[in-house]
Amino acid sequence: MGRSFKTSYGADMALLQNLWVKTWLVLFLLALAVAPFLLNRYQMSILNEIMIAVIGAVGLNLLTGYTGQISLGHGAFLAIGAYTTALLTGELGVPFALSLPLSGCMAALLGMVVGIPSLRLKGLYLALGTLAFGFIVEYVLFHWDLTQGDRGLPVPPMSLGGVPAETEREIFYVLVILAILAVLAAKNLARTKIGRSFNAIRDRDVAAEAMGIPLARYKIMAFGISAFYAGAAGCLAAHYHKWIVPGLFDLSLSLAYIAMIVLGGLGTILGSILGALLISGVPHGITHLVDLFKETHPALSGLIVDFKLGIFGLIIVLTLLFEPRGLFGVYQRMKIYWKTWPFRY
Amino acid sequence: MEKLLEIGLNGMSMGAIYALLALGFVMIFKSTGILNFAQGELAMVGAFLCYTFATLAGVPYVLSILIALAAAAVLGAVVDVVFFRRMVGEPVFSTIMVTVGLASILTSLAGFLWGHDVYSIVSPFTDKTVSFAGVVLSQGSLYTMAVSVLLFLLLILFFNRSLLGVAMKGTAEDADTAGLMGINVKRIHALAWVLGAVLAAVAGIFLAEQSFVRLSMSHTGIKAMAAAILGGMESISGAILGGLLIGIVEGLAATYLSGLEVGNFHFGDVKDVAAFAIMILVLMVRPDGIFGRKKVERV
Repeated sequence: MGRSFKTSYGADMALLQNLWVKTWLVLFLLALAVAPFLLNRYQMSILNEIMIAVIGAVGLNLLTGYTGQISLGHGAFLAIGAYTTALLTGELGVPFALSLPLSGCMAALLGMVVGIPSLRLKGLYLALGTLAFGFIVEYVLFHWDLTQGDRGLPVPPMSLGGVPAETEREIFYVLVILAILAVLAAKNLARTKIGRSFNAIRDRDVAAEAMGIPLARYKIMAFGISAFYAGAAGCLAAHYHKWIVPGLFDLSLSLAYIAMIVLGGLGTILGSILGALLISGVPHGITHLVDLFKETHPALSGLIVDFKLGIFGLIIVLTLLFEPRGLFGVYQRMKIYWKTWPFRY
Repeated sequence: MEKLLEIGLNGMSMGAIYALLALGFVMIFKSTGILNFAQGELAMVGAFLCYTFATLAGVPYVLSILIALAAAAVLGAVVDVVFFRRMVGEPVFSTIMVTVGLASILTSLAGFLWGHDVYSIVSPFTDKTVSFAGVVLSQGSLYTMAVSVLLFLLLILFFNRSLLGVAMKGTAEDADTAGLMGINVKRIHALAWVLGAVLAAVAGIFLAEQSFVRLSMSHTGIKAMAAAILGGMESISGAILGGLLIGIVEGLAATYLSGLEVGNFHFGDVKDVAAFAIMILVLMVRPDGIFGRKKVERV
């Protein structure tokens, strides 16, 4: 046990805590690199969705998990990113490599505007304020000629230097690199002064202010950064789906992202990844199960289609009832169990 | 003038429904600290229950409402015992997510039991109107308003005059101290859920009276949440006022803004976002709602 004590700040702050973590990370990256050669197209599409969700969820976790500012309107930031890139690449012919950061910045700009009320609103009031923002953005997208309402907008496929990424496999490599960058950036941000200020604001904003953290600047910064992530995720989703309508970015998307970070674990990067994996993966898992039973029990599969949403809800509820800290809590419990085995503490 | 009065009255009857739902939110939030995202779904289930008895089983209208309300009360109690008893005091987000999960469970159950079609409840008030001084109103909305006002009065009396109501207020104020004073906190929480579910069912039945019974009627719950926030989330009169305000503003917006076009922007169904626009405006001026009190924070 003694070997796991940390004796310096450097060790405590290290990105990769020990050899175990490093080994598993290398194995995981290797698995990601070879996955496209082992999985079929459908499975790759699930992986791609998960990668996009990881980027959005990490961003939301920076805002909600780290800074404690609730956003129930995150779908709106994804929508802004998606529509920005649709207009930029589709109408103006801006290359994807440029429109990705631009749509992130556009979302960040609006995020900072939304962040201003957060200086006055707290807790549930902020949650409902952002929820209202989400509805208003969806309404504007429906009723503005520029965004073509219900008909939606076409989005060209993503391309790098004029070479389009069209197959699921090519898209996967683009997405996986971006997701890794996003995770690394977030992980590093959390270790800096900014990240610690975010945590201080989450734990007690009055105390944080008393200790000399400018609340206004950091809250707006958190909203901006988080919206940037969401905008980038929205941009990628738009290029991935190739056609966007306002309905894609409704309340259920915002709630799905909240579900990811709550189920994964608030205030942890690993939690956001696990949550994104679970929330984007489970619906496909249920579909897969239904397919398995289709031949043997045709009547049952009809029922399960009705219950798909319900089973999804049940998984969320059960996870939280048994571990309110989410999957990260489960992970930590398991870690402690193995570390101290055969003792209970 | 008459048109304005008509819009106002119709808005108020819609507002009464929002207020009932908002009261349910406030009730559950105040005593258990849980923001219930499934309030609209509870209303939807209540309406479907009433529809089952009144239209499918042919039970007399009043009796089927009573059965539906009793069933809703049981549902509320079950929801509390199964899901929320152990979630009291957990982080806000986890509890919100559990209610969201509950909402999707209720939706899929209702979809399985009653299907995805649009139904209507046949009541003694269907398709009948009243007119006085040139204002035409449906009997359904008059009945909604009358019963709601009665319910509001009853609730206010309950909270101020009855022992149980005062115990609920005490629990909402400080659950630990209330427990020490000999109040059964768990039972109070269950009661809050029962009341919340019954209020939601009443709202659902009224909503069905004014439009239809269908799965998507649960969306009204989100607007009612805006009403509850407008009122300050903690106060009963605030929730009623917030609901009425949203109902009237929606009516006005639907009449005067719907056809407008500014540049290349069409206002269209502006009714659906009016509630949220009002909510944002009010929160900008009063960050704790109209009736909310600012909490003094100690570091």
